[in-house]
Formats: sequence, C-alpha cells, structure tokens
Amino acid sequence: MYYYIINPAAGRGQIKNLQDQLRGRLDKLGIRGEWVKTTGPGDATRLAKAAVASGHTTIVAVGGDDTVNEVINGIESDNVAVGIIPIGSANRVATQLGIITWPQACEALAARRLTSYSLIAAGQKFFLSTLTLGFETDLDKTIDTTKPGLRARAKQYAQSLGHARHYSSLKCRIEVDGQFTLNCDLFTLSVANQKFLNPLADNRLIVALSDRPKARLKLGGIVWKTLRSGGQGTLDDTATTRFLADRVVIETEPPTGIMVDGKVAGRTPIAIRLTDRHIRFITEKIVADFKNAIGPRN
Amino acid sequence: MARKTHDDAFGAAGAETMIGAGVTVHGNLVSESDVTIDGQLEGDITAAGDVTIGANARVKGAIHGTNVTIFGHLKGNIQASGEASIRETGQVEGDITSAGIAINSGGVFVGRSKMQTIPSLDISTESSPKQIVSPPTETRSKPAAKSKP
Repeated sequence: MYYYIINPAAGRGQIKNLQDQLRGRLDKLGIRGEWVKTTGPGDATRLAKAAVASGHTTIVAVGGDDTVNEVINGIESDNVAVGIIPIGSANRVATQLGIITWPQACEALAARRLTSYSLIAAGQKFFLSTLTLGFETDLDKTIDTTKPGLRARAKQYAQSLGHARHYSSLKCRIEVDGQFTLNCDLFTLSVANQKFLNPLADNRLIVALSDRPKARLKLGGIVWKTLRSGGQGTLDDTATTRFLADRVVIETEPPTGIMVDGKVAGRTPIAIRLTDRHIRFITEKIVADFKNAIGPRN
Repeated sequence: MARKTHDDAFGAAGAETMIGAGVTVHGNLVSESDVTIDGQLEGDITAAGDVTIGANARVKGAIHGTNVTIFGHLKGNIQASGEASIRETGQVEGDITSAGIAINSGGVFVGRSKMQTIPSLDISTESSPKQIVSPPTETRSKPAAKSKP
C-alpha cells in the first residue's frame, strides 16, 4: 500500500486547496493508500522510518525538496520505493526525475517506473540531488530569488550580477579518492550523482567547478544560469573543471557554507562520499530518451 | 578547443574529465572516458578514451589513452592505442608508443617514437633517440602532412 507523507506547509500551504482533487485522482488510479501529515521539521524522517518499520514498501513525499530529503533520510531499506508529488516552493529533485506537476506525478506513481540511485553522504546528512558551494550559496543568502514575475527576475539578475562582480573566489583544495589533489581558485562548485543526470550512467559523484570568468559576458552567463538552474550549479557546460569520484574532501579558505538542494547543510571542510544506500525512485524519466543522447561511441 | 555538448558530457560511459586553466593537480588521473587538461598536472593520466592536452596546459607525467593530442607542454611518455598527435603549439619531451604519430608544423618532439605492432601488417619500427623541431612556418594554421615513421 502507498504511504503518503504530506507536508501541509509546503508551497505556502497549497495542499489545502489541492487535497480533494489529489485524493480523487489517486482514487481513480487505484493508489489512494494511507495519508499522514507532518507537524514540523524532521517529522517526515520519523514518519518514513515508522512506515518502513510497519511494512510499507512505497513511500510518497508530498511536498518540496525539504520533504523529499527528510523522507530519504528516514529510509534504510533497499526494498522501499519512493515517489514524489511536487507541491513545494522548490521541486528540484522531482524535476530531475522528470516530474513537473502533481497530476503528472499521480500518473507516474501508478505507472511505477523504478530507478535505483545511490545516496550521497555529506558529513552525517544524506542527499540525492545536488550539493553546491561558492557563489551560488552566497547568492542564496543575500538575494531573494523566489519572487516570480518578469520585473522581479530582472531585478534579481541585476542584483546577482553586482554581487558576482564583488564576490572573491575561494582558495580550494580537493582530495579525490586518495588518488589526486586539486588546488584552484573557486567561484562555484557542484556535486551530484552522475546517474541522477543520466539513468544509464553508473552511480558516481560528478564534481564540477569553475573559477570566476574574466570576461563580463561569461560572468553574466554563469549568473543567469545559476538563477535558472534551480540548484544544479555548474554541472552543465559552464564548468571549466569536471571529474568523477567516489569520495572527495573539500577544504576552502576561508571556510564557507554548503547547500543541499537549495538549503544550507553545513560548512567546509567537508567529506562527501557515495554510499552503499540505494533508494528506488518512482521516476518519469524514460531510459529510451537517453539512448539517443548517448549514441554509439566511435 | 571544441567543447562537448551537455549530452556528450554525461554519456553512459561516464562524464568527460576536464581540468580547467588555473587548476593544479597532483596525483594520478584515471578515467573511463575522455580527458581534457587545460591546467597543470603532475602525475599520470590513464584514460579509456581520448586525452587532449590544451594549449596552455603543462603536464609532467605519463599518458595512456586511445588518441592522445598535445596542444600544450608534456614532459613524460605517451602510450596511445590509437594516434598520438603533436599540434602546432604542442611540445613533448618523452617517448611515444602508438599505432600512429602525427606532428604538425611548429610542433616539438624530443624523444623516441615506437610504432605498436600491428598483427596484420607486422609493422614495427623503433628509432634511436632523436630531436625533431619543426620550425614555425607561414602556414602554421594549416595542418602539416602527417609524418608516420
């Protein structure tokens, strides 16, 4: 039976208005299951643990990235499938799994396509999606990027560009798998599970970083992508350095905050590693979509 | 240097390894995919794919790869199962063992070259230590004819 963990505060409480429609939809699809609501931070972890202990094999996080992260931190069994109904303010994890809207999420839950992902541990915290540090983390602390609308976006971009011009790169040292050490000036850095970006690839950490570009146009491009990336940081082609690893230890001078899926989650120095803990996610991503992207290797 | 697209970069064989300008690496790089170095590396590179050393890159260590292309400076040996190529701005101090070698006009190679044995043709040549310095010419932008020992 499906076990729905609902964060009533997610997305400024929009579940209140959606509840009847959502239940109706799930009823029609024959996956209504059991509903529980969280009462505060950390509650989703406790509820997920209790649900697994009582034998539930499908846990659905109804909320945003915070709710999803709390749920996966409560699941220690490989036999549990996790689904997401994205109704939060930030739904980066769901988006990465190809789930954009709640009606689409319901269909995906019923179709039950499963993909297994290794969790990443940053210190004592587990996460699935993206860890960032550097300019992006600093930007999140200083500029409100949540306001919608064209005028608000233009203002956010102008403020962010001004902030980027005065942001001092960090001195960074990264130890990679005990094999090599990398020293550089760091503007922004992102860590994610490679498989999360491409379900056909192996579970491995992908570390992408870039120094501050000298050209203003390029800096503007990075700022624009940072604002639009939704926590993906420099994992795309703006990264100047990128490599795969199983474990990295990141030190910066001066020490700086790290963010996991848009939420502050610690400070450097920090050890980040791929764990043996796997979570099976109900995903909308269809493997066939990626076969064309890969193509035959020459 | 041509950059790979997002889809290429996240292929099933694993993301391409890139070391950017301004980055210094100490230790050995191992990759199941392609490797591109634009920074500085002291250590060996072992790649299942192609290895490219960018124009401003400096590498001190051995390179093992499929096709190895040098635009920058390498002090170390190359072992390529495909072709080793020293481009206009490339400098190599070390020995090359590969199935094919190409040195463009302006490229510098100080060391020994050895063709890998190709079973069907049984071609195997090994030259004594030599220094080849191709002088810059007016046609540097045009690749010179490949020299295959």
